[in-house]
Amino acid sequence: MTDLEVAPVDIMHIGTAPDGGLFRSAEGSRRRVAIRSCQALLVIVFLAGWEWVPQIPGLSKHSHVFDPFFISSPSRIATTLYGMATANSAYPALWVPLGRTVSAALIGVAIGMVLGAGCGLVLSNSAFWSAVINPFLNAFNSVPRVALVPVVIIIVGPTYSSDVIMTVLVVFFIAFFNAFEGGRTVSLPLIENARMLGAAPVQIMHRVRLPVVIAWTLVALPVSMSLGLLTAITAELFSGYPGMGALLYQASVTSNSSITFAVVVVLSLVGVLTIGCSEIVKRRVVHWWGKV
Amino acid sequence: MTRGREPGSEVSAKHPAGTTAAAGPPAITIRDVTYQYPNGTQALGGVSLEVAKGETIGVVGPSGCGKSTLLSVLAGLARPTQGSLSIVRYSRQRHHIGMMFQKDTLLPWRTVADNVALYWAFHRSLRREAAARVPELLEMVGLAGFAGAYPHELSGGMRRRVAFLASIAAKPEILLLDEPFSALDEPTRVSILDDVFKILREFQMTAVLVTHDLAEAVSMSDRVAILTSRPGRVRSVHAVPFGNQRSILEIRQESEFLKLYGSLWHELSIEIEKSRS
Repeated sequence: MTDLEVAPVDIMHIGTAPDGGLFRSAEGSRRRVAIRSCQALLVIVFLAGWEWVPQIPGLSKHSHVFDPFFISSPSRIATTLYGMATANSAYPALWVPLGRTVSAALIGVAIGMVLGAGCGLVLSNSAFWSAVINPFLNAFNSVPRVALVPVVIIIVGPTYSSDVIMTVLVVFFIAFFNAFEGGRTVSLPLIENARMLGAAPVQIMHRVRLPVVIAWTLVALPVSMSLGLLTAITAELFSGYPGMGALLYQASVTSNSSITFAVVVVLSLVGVLTIGCSEIVKRRVVHWWGKV
Repeated sequence: MTRGREPGSEVSAKHPAGTTAAAGPPAITIRDVTYQYPNGTQALGGVSLEVAKGETIGVVGPSGCGKSTLLSVLAGLARPTQGSLSIVRYSRQRHHIGMMFQKDTLLPWRTVADNVALYWAFHRSLRREAAARVPELLEMVGLAGFAGAYPHELSGGMRRRVAFLASIAAKPEILLLDEPFSALDEPTRVSILDDVFKILREFQMTAVLVTHDLAEAVSMSDRVAILTSRPGRVRSVHAVPFGNQRSILEIRQESEFLKLYGSLWHELSIEIEKSRS
């Protein structure tokens, strides 16, 4: 070895992934395992603390937060959840109200997104109609949606339809403003290029603007799903329509914290599931999004 | 302004001292065209130029002299403030005017093949053509294996090749090229230009190439027009004597190329100086 040569201190081996990409295999998997382990540990510590800390004698006298009557416990919630899921007559049924709430949210989200995206597409394509309609949409959007729940209930009654309509009203504006902005981001050269190739205005809207609008709308899908579920439950809390919202209401008025937490757990799981599914849909449909 | 004039009708010719006149039947006749932007900027100050059928003319000039504006006027995307413009259509069977933009116009959600076939997506009655023509076109520029790839999976040079194919897929009679390869490195650009030149000749297209690269203009064109600083006018037009069989890769080493390049650069540098002062 000459004076100029330096002995290697470390050599990092970079492997080639089956899909042709590069990855640092050992380091990556170690990191993933470490993250998952920490997450599991946090959940275990939290559940153990929730289960056993309130059992420390005298602690519940200081605050309701440590009183099992108000905060239940993981084991009681699990028992309640099992009873609800297996139609045990000692517990309220789970699947029928859950089906009502989730289906109302899904239908509302679907209608709201299609209507919102459609209106956003059309208005982003027309400067004139955009100028005409925009002030009305902005005014309507500034109305707190919760204030409309009683109005909708008065009009259609405390029914499944009121859940769906409220969800549509909330999701429509999310989809609309996303689609509208998406439609307006289409660059002038893309439109001029289509025009030079002989595209009619309707074809430009269909072939050039629509895919961008769909992408922008789908980017908002996870948020829309989350808000859709929230809206359906809120509508049920107001109307008493027998969905998860009503179950939550009954549990709270009877001070049954185990049922309340069981419902919250179910809704959280449904939320995570629907958001996860909408992320998958988004990634599949707009796989090109954000890639240059 | 006259657009889409039929063959055989007269062009009222009044060329300034032969410099702007083309040899052969005219495809484009621009007469004293001016263009003023809504903000008052005068981009074109009376451009007169003729382009013959099948000819490629390079347009160079200082930055901001109105080169791209001239193309927009030719494409019908901007209406001239004054002057007249005549673009002859020789065949009803071919698309009339195609344009390749400086900016990326590939649709990121469409594959390479679908981007090249965009013309047929807008002309459904002709879509049977696409199935046969697209593979043929991709083969011409060495992208046969990338038909199913998406634009984000391609290099910059490949993307420009696809954009070029999309603009010529319909075999337009006239092709407007707005600094199409300016963002590419020199070796990639020269390689693409070689393909582009061959295709322009094979498809017998009339082409207007706007570029800031004088070497590109000289190697690709039959004539080169130099525009003055803003507001742009045609300062002079120079014939390029290399014919149809030139190799873009080899031409740049020839003494004739270097001599022509030198004399054009001298004129261009005068206009660049003017635009700076």
